[in-house]
Amino acid sequence: MHMNDKIPLIREKALWMRRTAFAMVHRAQLGHPGGDFSAIDILATLYFGVMRFDPKRPDWPDRDRFVMSKGHATGALYTALCAAGYFPEDWLATYMQPRSLLNGHPNRNYLPGIETNTGPLGHGFPVATGIAIAGQLAGAGYRTFVLTGDGEQQEGSNWEAAMVAGHRRLSNLTLIIDRNRLQQGAGTEETSGLDPLDKRYDAFGFDVTEVDGHDPAALLAVLGAAPGSKPRCVIANTTKGKGVSFMENVASWHHGVPNDAQFEQAMKELV
Amino acid sequence: MEMVNRPYAAAFEAYAVQHPEVLCLSADLTSSCEIDGFRDRHPDQFLSLGMAEQNMLSFAGGLGLAGFRPFLHSFGVFLYRRPYDQLMASVAYPRRKVRLMGFLPGVTTPGGMTHQAIEDISVMRTIPNMTVLEAGDATEVESIVAEADRVDGPVYCRILRGAVPRLFDTPIRIGQMRVLAEGEDVLVVTAGITTEEAIRARGALARAGVSVRHLHLNTLKPFDAAQIVDHAASVRHGVITLENHLVTGGIGSMVAEALAEAGLARRLIRLGLQDTYAHGGSRPYLMKHYGMDALSLVRAVERLTGQATGIDEDALGAVRIDAVHSIVKAEAL
Repeated sequence: MHMNDKIPLIREKALWMRRTAFAMVHRAQLGHPGGDFSAIDILATLYFGVMRFDPKRPDWPDRDRFVMSKGHATGALYTALCAAGYFPEDWLATYMQPRSLLNGHPNRNYLPGIETNTGPLGHGFPVATGIAIAGQLAGAGYRTFVLTGDGEQQEGSNWEAAMVAGHRRLSNLTLIIDRNRLQQGAGTEETSGLDPLDKRYDAFGFDVTEVDGHDPAALLAVLGAAPGSKPRCVIANTTKGKGVSFMENVASWHHGVPNDAQFEQAMKELV
Repeated sequence: MEMVNRPYAAAFEAYAVQHPEVLCLSADLTSSCEIDGFRDRHPDQFLSLGMAEQNMLSFAGGLGLAGFRPFLHSFGVFLYRRPYDQLMASVAYPRRKVRLMGFLPGVTTPGGMTHQAIEDISVMRTIPNMTVLEAGDATEVESIVAEADRVDGPVYCRILRGAVPRLFDTPIRIGQMRVLAEGEDVLVVTAGITTEEAIRARGALARAGVSVRHLHLNTLKPFDAAQIVDHAASVRHGVITLENHLVTGGIGSMVAEALAEAGLARRLIRLGLQDTYAHGGSRPYLMKHYGMDALSLVRAVERLTGQATGIDEDALGAVRIDAVHSIVKAEAL
């Protein structure tokens, strides 16, 4: 199949993920929908256009690895794993309810398809670096993808990982940064600025590409490309709350939850 | 029962504006720690250098060295797990006047293991020079700001946010535990949100003929071992600790150490998390699931006294004082 033949499927899955994730947040009255929506097209592209995996064998040694470092965006991650076939759809309705396996932050002891627990920021990229080094040491053919938030890049542990990944030329590692320019409380550039993010990662030894993080074709082109000689950094320019007019670029939707009217309005827009 | 909305927000602002050498620090959990209003109204006294806790602990040490008294606001876990080395070397050893305001202690967050500070008391109380406080009601949340700022060295505080019940009418005083009941059958030692549970249980236990001696701790370090021992010596059946924390290293361990060092033989039941991480879930669900609620305390009393009380969930529900905390809905993330 030609790579671009996958685009309709990615779009279809991303739409389903947005609608389903928002329904989960609406039901639970808990969650992080703004960051779910900025990340969903990236996850849909990875799971339905790029990665090799087998949901029946979550421990398959040759699987490509995905680490969701922005672990709070569970609406995006759980709907992606469900759509990818890791668990049945009725589990999603239990999101954040007592005894649910779908906690506010992903737990690898509860759900198949989760490589590592995340939630505290700045953990996923270093873990992914370790996974990539392991693949390099073992001569394994799998690739490792990690998605961080952009505000998350303020955690110093990311830059320790970046130094190692660049130094070891971990070409099997792809760092994707969800560059929506908003963190929980304010804009990244007014809090502790990240720009020029591309130049910073270039200086750390990464092949850096900036893409529209909501365009599956652009994402596929860079994420699906064969590894080069360096680790790859994909700065995915995104919109927090993407797809719902009243949520887009509004920081308070980081962990805002919809009332019934807002939910209905969003369902009308997400078509 | 009066419920106070966001007691920390108003108390911190009122105190900080009177003390310009107090700085308000956040690691991008500003609204989550109720200091968004302060940030908006007093931007010159507010510093957010992003989600970077290791850096925050060390630069707080630098601010302390230069004579400021920074108040650090984050979820409790992020003030000690990630930046532990920075905490030790930049803050604790040089005895900087850094005030660590740890929100969402124990199971008061539905965020699961990554966000639940369940070993913070254990960690913090072992650090030389550290003072450890825990607020148990709105009055203690309000008064902990000024009280913590009196300490000549670093202080870690477990803070309650959102709607907090008012149980006490006098401010927190470091080193002064509250004697809430002076019964003679069983000694119950609580702190933070477990005090409210013990108050619920006490009413039902009194009607069942069990006389409880109840201590509320707001100062976990320095720990008043002598007073604990005196109270333990004055009850017939033994001691129960009930804590929003692992029983290892926390209040249960502190009481055990006190009894052992005094050579006082008393049975001790330690209620709290038993060598386990906690699920994500609502606070009432988690407290029940892990045996940290009023009914768990009643059952422990029965074990000590050897007598059934006939108390069940319904009897405790009738004396439920925390009407605002929903049974089913988790607190916000």
